[in-house]
Amino acid sequence: MELKDSFVGRVYGVNYFRTHKTEAYVEIPPALLITDERGDAWSLGSEFVGTGYNLEFNVVRNDVSTDEFAKKIVYRGGKVRIYGQAGWRVWNGRTFI
Amino acid sequence: MREFTVAVAGASLLGTQAMVFVNPKAAPNANIEFLRFWAGQSQNATSAQQRIEIDAQTTPFPTLTAATPAALKRAEASASIIIGSTSGAAGTAGVNSSTDGTTSYTNIWQDAFNVLNGWLLVPTPAETIVFPAGLAQGMNMRTPIAPATTTNWAAGVVYREV
Repeated sequence: MELKDSFVGRVYGVNYFRTHKTEAYVEIPPALLITDERGDAWSLGSEFVGTGYNLEFNVVRNDVSTDEFAKKIVYRGGKVRIYGQAGWRVWNGRTFI
Repeated sequence: MREFTVAVAGASLLGTQAMVFVNPKAAPNANIEFLRFWAGQSQNATSAQQRIEIDAQTTPFPTLTAATPAALKRAEASASIIIGSTSGAAGTAGVNSSTDGTTSYTNIWQDAFNVLNGWLLVPTPAETIVFPAGLAQGMNMRTPIAPATTTNWAAGVVYREV
């Protein structure tokens, strides 16, 4: 199958091709990746902070760390949001606020 | 800490088979603690639900494509005690099996996901799955039901030698 005009994001060293952005209200985990409206792929990396049940993992965008840590990434209302000890933050296109 | 990944990308699955298989070495040796599991399709435009399992499998083991574990800490001087092999035997790892081996599995984790979103499991410290040395069982992350689209699968695990 040939995917034309597809979004291309990168997670764990693999390019992921999608024809649409991720559907509304998807969370990582248990999802592996979220494709936003630009076609960027979001996931949780392997760096972590915290201990025990308060582990937070680095938030990666196309395999590049955003220097933010979170327990989960949520795609809702067309926005990429992260949640952790710092509360909810939303991606504004350049950084999480 | 010694952490390693075993992963596959761009794989064509035959059906209900091992995506990733890691078998601890015979005792006495380091135990294998699994820290992360993931699976997804890198090229697919069709939404579908898919089951996935983490099983303990005894012999006969699946026939695999050999996969040498890669160190997460790139300065790690020594390779993993697990080596890549097609046999699935103790002390080996492989991916994308061509034959299942046994049809008897001990289910450890059963889950489902949409193939467009993929699947990520990061157990809490209390939930990590440990296969001790000498267990004579391999960790088999597999699709118990054949995917609707069998091409372009990416999957992997992260484990720690403890």
